Amino acid sequence: MKLSDPKIKQIIRQRSLYMCLECGKCSASCPRMTAGKEYSPRLLAQKIIAEQEDEAFIENSVWECLTCALCEERCPSNVEFSRFIMDMRALLAETKGLTGYRAHDGALHSWMRLMTSPELKQNRLGWIGPELRTAAEGPVAFFTGCAPYFDIFFSSIEVDTLTIVRDSIRLMNFLDIEPVVLAEERCCGHDLLLTGDTENFKTLCLLNHAELKKAGVKEVVFSCPECYYVFSRFMPEIVPGYDLKATLLMDLLKTEIDKGGISFRPLEKRVSYQDPCRLGRLSGRIEEPRALMNMIPDLTLTEMENHGRSANCCGNSGFINCDAYSKTIQLERLKEVKATRAELLLTACPKCMIHLTCAMRDPVRRGSLKVEIRDLASLLAEQIEWSEEAKTLRSVKA
Amino acid sequence: MEPVKILGICCNWSPYASFNAAERAGLDTPADFRLVRVMCIGRINQALILRAFEFGADGVILLECKDEDCRYGPGPEIGHSNVLRVRRLINLLGIGQRRLVEASFFAHEKEKLAEAIRDFTHRIEALGPNPAKPRQEREAS
Repeated sequence: MKLSDPKIKQIIRQRSLYMCLECGKCSASCPRMTAGKEYSPRLLAQKIIAEQEDEAFIENSVWECLTCALCEERCPSNVEFSRFIMDMRALLAETKGLTGYRAHDGALHSWMRLMTSPELKQNRLGWIGPELRTAAEGPVAFFTGCAPYFDIFFSSIEVDTLTIVRDSIRLMNFLDIEPVVLAEERCCGHDLLLTGDTENFKTLCLLNHAELKKAGVKEVVFSCPECYYVFSRFMPEIVPGYDLKATLLMDLLKTEIDKGGISFRPLEKRVSYQDPCRLGRLSGRIEEPRALMNMIPDLTLTEMENHGRSANCCGNSGFINCDAYSKTIQLERLKEVKATRAELLLTACPKCMIHLTCAMRDPVRRGSLKVEIRDLASLLAEQIEWSEEAKTLRSVKA
Repeated sequence: MEPVKILGICCNWSPYASFNAAERAGLDTPADFRLVRVMCIGRINQALILRAFEFGADGVILLECKDEDCRYGPGPEIGHSNVLRVRRLINLLGIGQRRLVEASFFAHEKEKLAEAIRDFTHRIEALGPNPAKPRQEREAS
């Protein structure tokens, strides 16, 4: 990074860093700082504007951020901190080849890069059983994301993210939608974007877009908030002539439920909810998941101390910089769950599920923070049913 | 036949002793075979095997000690569990499980080791280049 690099000035301006008042709300909110890490968003903003000669500090700090956007939420000057971080990472990756400290030795980033091959012939659809109705072509697709890969790679911590995908498709089938599931779907590239690998990220965007177009898709449905974030925010900037509609499964459900005829079987359970950063603060879905939970009779939603717009991150993003501070964030989060006395922790992102499941298995805690964790889509798929009138109407139609 | 890139990841102890002996004995090993020597195959994780493919390998062979021969204890066992998992991943990616193998040797098995490398090279040559190769690697080769 050269101090005179005109791109830095442009990034500072574009992401409104000159508006910073140095009030420090960002640093006081930052989950990494409150976990004890020597990292301060306020100081980073100050250094990048006024003390660019401290390159080592800037280069280290840029990779610390979780891009959870809690600082942005509280910033009185609307500094776009998470986008600033992404831009800086892209710049540092391009000019200096920096990648950050990649968790799991970069295995996940490796398979994401392998997917940039145009001649890729994946065998990724083995999880589709006869109970699921899917199509090869059609107007609506479901984007599965990295779930088939996660479940193999993380088999040692026994996470099951493919269940989220199966349950999402069950929900779509319930609504009489047979979604297209691509045989050559690639990773959305979110983690490459977060590690500054712009070139491969763009390649993945273009390949996914081409595959979806080839299958005649007009609308793509997501249960993973990161894939949705990429498709709704970044793909339109990257893909020329992009006209796909990105829809969150929970929004689709809400629309269909509002039409009437759908009800939920009661479930007597105390649950708590982990807001995924990319769903809550970054895509603005705070009330939507709660509205869906509240439709289940007898379900009690007990909020954690930090929830909704103030929810804390699951400790890691983009699979970089997983360290003792990530663990602290996760353990604190799980303590908040325990304090609610919830029997079930719901979330809506496979990565929150992976990270929190990993933290629950912390041997030092001897299982004291264990709690059942499920995706909201799975719970809804289990409880959803047609109301009595709708059942009659449907049987007449049939 | 298209040229292929083959990587051997070799434990420093018995397999490397065999490899060394094979070379000194003038046993035939493929010319384009690259070898990375590590202290123990247990040091290799899923990420490092995947990275070999990411950086353009068409085939990867892990050369390990026999279970009872490991200087550190669980090396070959760890190697084996990593190979099993990475095989499932590269199967999903369409690279094919046959492009990743492991083989174990005692220190005196130079003929056996040379033969294993030759067999693997022939297999990869027959399979041809790895279809899932990032664009940058494709352009470089």
